[in-house]
Amino acid sequence: MPWRRFRKKVERPIDVSKSIEESLDDAADGESEEDAAELAELDDATIAEAATGEPNEDRAPTELGDKLRGVLESAAERGGEARRERRPRSAPRGIALDRSSGAARSDDAHAAPESYPELGVDLSVEAARGLRLKNPVMTASGTFGQGVEYAELIDVSRLGAIVNKGTTPAARPGNPQYRIAETPSGILNSIGLENPGALEVARKYGKAWAELGVAVIVNVAGYSVDDYVYVVHEMTGTPGVVAYEINVSCPNVKGGMLFGCDPDLAAEVTSAVKAETDLPVIVKLTPNAPDVVAVARACEQAGADALTAINTVLGMRIDTRRRRPILGTGSGGLSGPAIRPIAVHVTYQVAQAVAIPIIGAGGITNAQDALEFLMAGASSVQVGTATFADPLAPLKVIEGLAAYVKEHGLASIRDVIGVALPAPED
Amino acid sequence: MILEDGRVVATDEIGQLGTVLRISAPGIAGQARAGQFVHVRPGLSFDPLLRRPYSFNRIDRAAGEIELIVKALGSGGGWIASRREGDRLDLLGPLGSSFVIQRSTRNLLLVAGGTGIAPMRVLAEQESGRRNVTLLMGGRSVAHLWPSDRLPASVEYVTTTEDGSFGIKGRVTDAIRPLLEWADQSCACGPWPMLAALGRLREEAERAAATYPGRAALLETQIAVEQHMGCAMGVCRACVIVTADGNARVCREGPVFSLGDVAFAEGEPATVGLS
Repeated sequence: MPWRRFRKKVERPIDVSKSIEESLDDAADGESEEDAAELAELDDATIAEAATGEPNEDRAPTELGDKLRGVLESAAERGGEARRERRPRSAPRGIALDRSSGAARSDDAHAAPESYPELGVDLSVEAARGLRLKNPVMTASGTFGQGVEYAELIDVSRLGAIVNKGTTPAARPGNPQYRIAETPSGILNSIGLENPGALEVARKYGKAWAELGVAVIVNVAGYSVDDYVYVVHEMTGTPGVVAYEINVSCPNVKGGMLFGCDPDLAAEVTSAVKAETDLPVIVKLTPNAPDVVAVARACEQAGADALTAINTVLGMRIDTRRRRPILGTGSGGLSGPAIRPIAVHVTYQVAQAVAIPIIGAGGITNAQDALEFLMAGASSVQVGTATFADPLAPLKVIEGLAAYVKEHGLASIRDVIGVALPAPED
Repeated sequence: MILEDGRVVATDEIGQLGTVLRISAPGIAGQARAGQFVHVRPGLSFDPLLRRPYSFNRIDRAAGEIELIVKALGSGGGWIASRREGDRLDLLGPLGSSFVIQRSTRNLLLVAGGTGIAPMRVLAEQESGRRNVTLLMGGRSVAHLWPSDRLPASVEYVTTTEDGSFGIKGRVTDAIRPLLEWADQSCACGPWPMLAALGRLREEAERAAATYPGRAALLETQIAVEQHMGCAMGVCRACVIVTADGNARVCREGPVFSLGDVAFAEGEPATVGLS
């Protein structure tokens, strides 16, 4: 069956209230005409201001206008990164990126109530070169959708950042069933990068990301160097996006892991993407590489601004009744607490080999788990599979880290980064 | 949809069908609709890791309670089924789409296979005061049937068993034709082979003339389906099935679909994948 985008149906026996995605889809329909107008409303700017991305000097000054001007000026001092326009389409979507806060918008509609325990505790970290986050906790790609889904349940603006579902140049229908199987303290998955394609992701979620008040890292996947570059190109200028995470490590699509297993290929992708964007570029490492440290070094030399360690570990389960693998593709990617020791070990190894920040990921369920990664040399972490069991897990990690900083009288969470690493040899 | 700390109020073993847990969860009970489900955490640790989805078997808004039928399958189902009065359960719900009964429907046919009785019981309680309701339920044996004293008295209850231990010997599809002729609309929940058999009947009816017996009810059939599920929040895309509109997530667009929209292949959901 050919892939078709899921559209709102008239006769579907669904409850009258639309899902948030359907509403977004509706809102996105015919957006091109309304784009500038809606963005103008969003930012309290005139349509001309939204379309050009520059404030109109003749217009009476507003508080937001002043902010916009300030941010644009500071961006200009940094080389005009925030104003860089690669193509006309991205111009109306242009958003001033305030890297000092790690969030795409400073007027946060989801301002945290004073009761959040992490407030007043210095949890800020440098998650990648040029990317400072208010706290070191992100959600891992593929476990948090586009952020809007869990926003129905939790205040996602409390997160350091979210990483969206792996995005490819064109829509992908994904793999045959079954796509998921439970394992001891973990799950195997073989989803196959089902996603609507870069253009659709940008069109449908850009505005929502800006409104969520959370930094968004786009997970970029592909089969060729051109694929990765194309996705980054399509996403350029999308509101909320603060960095790209290059997925050279998906075990569930043919060739998906190829780039992550070979240092030269990983470096080639890294430098190609770096040439396409001014935003930080993070490379997500696969533990299935013969020499993950060599890949890490190659990515650093090619200009990567951070490394995520690790993606899922290849695994398989057999249905003993049917006498065949449970997953439709046979093998899949293992995630969850079962892989945490592997992930901590890779983090520990890579941290000694590179100078760029490391994002630890693999089986984190609570602050203690996160501390293992931080002490092994990661400067931030991603919570993934645990969210399926406990949607509050990412927030609990933030709260737990804040409590740890307070209990131990630390000046900041940064004081624990790498403390378990051996002393460097002179 | 909320996260709620439910408290088990009562438990009951229903033959071989499973354990019925009555749970105090006013928040979820207040929002829940027939066909929707709740995602239950099977313990306090991350092993087993995934929550288990259960369709509501009863929604008592006034009492703030829900009922679920839980089979003690595997470690997760076993843990949930062994909860007793006073125990706490971490609940996420209500989730997914629900059955929609047309206002014009006078005769409503409900078809249940095994634990697929869960949402059909909710519909029976909800609709029996508004229209004529017949429930057709099939099970392996009499021990796998829902007890008739737990249904509204006005609901006509027809049963089939594969071993002939109670009611008509055979499967629901062996007894369904006269009921379809009577019904204006039908709703079904059960194992995939049962739903696929209904799908074949529907295709037959769709191709046939307007006078085909039971055609109207077949064309108006809604089904609630099951699939291996991960997050139940719509993010992981583990639970997709193939529909007329492409891939659909059972946890979001489903679990209730129009029968005619779902693609079957050899008694199972059609496989999803690259062509």
